[in-house]
Amino acid sequence: MRAKINMYLFEHAVNSLFRQKFKTLFVVLVLSTLIFLLTSVFFISNSIKHELQSTVDALPEIIVQKLGGGRHYDIETSSVDEILEITGVSSATERVWGYYYFENAGVNFTLVGIDEFEEQYKKSFASAAKELDFSKPTMMLGEGVESVMDKNYYKEYFNFIKHDGTLKRVDIGGVFDTQSELESNDVIVMSKDDAREIFNMSKNMATDIVVKVANEDEIATVASKIKLLYPDVRVITKDDIKISYQNIFDYKSGIFLALFVVSLFTFFIIIYDKLSGLSSEERREIGILKAIGWSVGDVLKEKFYESFIISFFSYMSGVVLALFFVYILKAPLLQNIFTGYSQLKTSFALPFVFDIQTLFLIFFLSVPIYIAATIIPSYRGATLDADEVMR
Amino acid sequence: MIELKNITKIYEESKENSVTALKNINLTVKDGEVIVLRGASGSGKSTILSLIASLAKPTSGEVVVDGLRVSKLVDSFASAYRRDNIGIIFQKYNLIPSLSVSENIILPLVPLNLHVKEVEAKLESVLEKFHIVHRAYGLVKNLSGGEQQRVAIARANINNPKIILADEPTANLDEKLSLHFIEMLRELKRDGKTIIVATHDPLFFDLDIVDRVLEINHGVLL
Ligand SMILES: Nc1ncnc2c1ncn2[C@@H]1O[C@H](COP(=O)(O)OP(=O)(O)OP(=O)(O)O)[C@@H](O)[C@H]1O
Ligand SMILES: [Mg+2]
Repeated sequence: MRAKINMYLFEHAVNSLFRQKFKTLFVVLVLSTLIFLLTSVFFISNSIKHELQSTVDALPEIIVQKLGGGRHYDIETSSVDEILEITGVSSATERVWGYYYFENAGVNFTLVGIDEFEEQYKKSFASAAKELDFSKPTMMLGEGVESVMDKNYYKEYFNFIKHDGTLKRVDIGGVFDTQSELESNDVIVMSKDDAREIFNMSKNMATDIVVKVANEDEIATVASKIKLLYPDVRVITKDDIKISYQNIFDYKSGIFLALFVVSLFTFFIIIYDKLSGLSSEERREIGILKAIGWSVGDVLKEKFYESFIISFFSYMSGVVLALFFVYILKAPLLQNIFTGYSQLKTSFALPFVFDIQTLFLIFFLSVPIYIAATIIPSYRGATLDADEVMR
Repeated sequence: MIELKNITKIYEESKENSVTALKNINLTVKDGEVIVLRGASGSGKSTILSLIASLAKPTSGEVVVDGLRVSKLVDSFASAYRRDNIGIIFQKYNLIPSLSVSENIILPLVPLNLHVKEVEAKLESVLEKFHIVHRAYGLVKNLSGGEQQRVAIARANINNPKIILADEPTANLDEKLSLHFIEMLRELKRDGKTIIVATHDPLFFDLDIVDRVLEINHGVLL
């Protein structure tokens, strides 16, 4: 019968929150900051995990690099044909790539050379290949590169400095469609010939060779066969790369853990403060209410409304803020902590994964805990003899 | 009818500093009676009021109101009993300072979840009866002592209780306001309410509306 919300009680709860403006404000601030941090971190880390997964999925099964003195050397393109002979190999492509230091902004770009007709080992490169004009020195830019160049007034072409100090002019053909942004943001795509020229690499050499294997189970076998064929190479499989990515990610999220622990700590102080008892003012008010006919249940119901309003409001504002921060503002600052595979400092859009489970999890970590922390001491206070108000 | 049967109240019973506030009190108050409890400070007056209001339980003995053994009630029944039968006027008024006059007055009705119309009707009637209509929306903390007490009386009467308990009602009032308070008591008596006033203000000892003056000394009724 009395199941419907008691508006008078609700109003009383709202009033008493407003009466303790500063306390309410402080709790809302801490709680929504915590929820904001948690939600943002979860959103971003989920998105990056998702990103990494799709990056790793798009990786070639095997990469073959030549080593000398423990360092990575260029590899002869003639090896490609020999590798293709190995049973189980469905394709082998030589890659030409490297880093180019862009002095004006103090960042490294990744320079990738492609051929017009070869099978591209990355989907985004395939679309770049379609748009790239192979008839003259032209390049397609990843979004991050484009914005850095634009800021430095390189809008039509850029002069690369070659090993001998002479310049190589390459026109900017446009921005290529990056299907996986985390990976291709700092990439410049141009023809293999132009790339070789900038890197001072002869025509019969390549940076490494990527090998595709039709059957996943054969990757390890093929890898060991290549190793047998060329004792001086390093053979990297997809699994190896996956692990090293995971390591970077775990390391970066550690910083977040620290931030998170700090706000969690504050939250626990609030909870502790609440559990350690009511102020004399609060006790007196409960006494008054009981003396004029409120039952323990009425008092607790009021406290429930109060703590629900304050914690739910904080939860909502924290989540809305996080959504705004992550989706609209593209998570400035936070993102830099997670990403940064290259030194490229420009921001880019992570394709964010929205997940409802995270929101539920955070809800249950915050709202019910706060409500319980409010109600438990009030219960203790309300069940004591109320005759204190008589004195 | 209020009956106190062989009441003893000991505070902090288990500890060394235990206080025997009341000793073997027997008292019967008939409906519509106005009783004054007089006694020195610490004699046990407030304790008697607390027991009648079921705000505290006697150490031994029984409080029976209209056949209901109020000293045996569990919390939820005790509060319902208090809400429906008892209006308390505290010495310190016990208003919530940051709420408005109206909000304070309707506090006893809040858990009942009544219809707005009903709440407003009850509020209006007590505002008028105790002459605070003009202050209805002001904050309690901005009121004078006399006005605060009228708010407290209005709050005690919003549920139209049969029993009014007043603890040192004139302790903080000057003579003019005390007389004013007595006029309000007179009106409550006319309404047929049972009234118990705990006080050491001589103003009450020889008052036409008072039926009996009972003296209490160190927890013993004389
Ligand atoms: N909750 C309590 N715990 C311990 N002692 C108490 C408690 N309440 C009252 N007492 C003691 O019981 C005795 C009676 O107190 P009570 O408040 O009933 O006296 P009173 O006649 O109302 O006094 P006053 O005129 O000062 O209000 C006093 O000695 C008081 O100190
Ligand atoms: Mg007293």
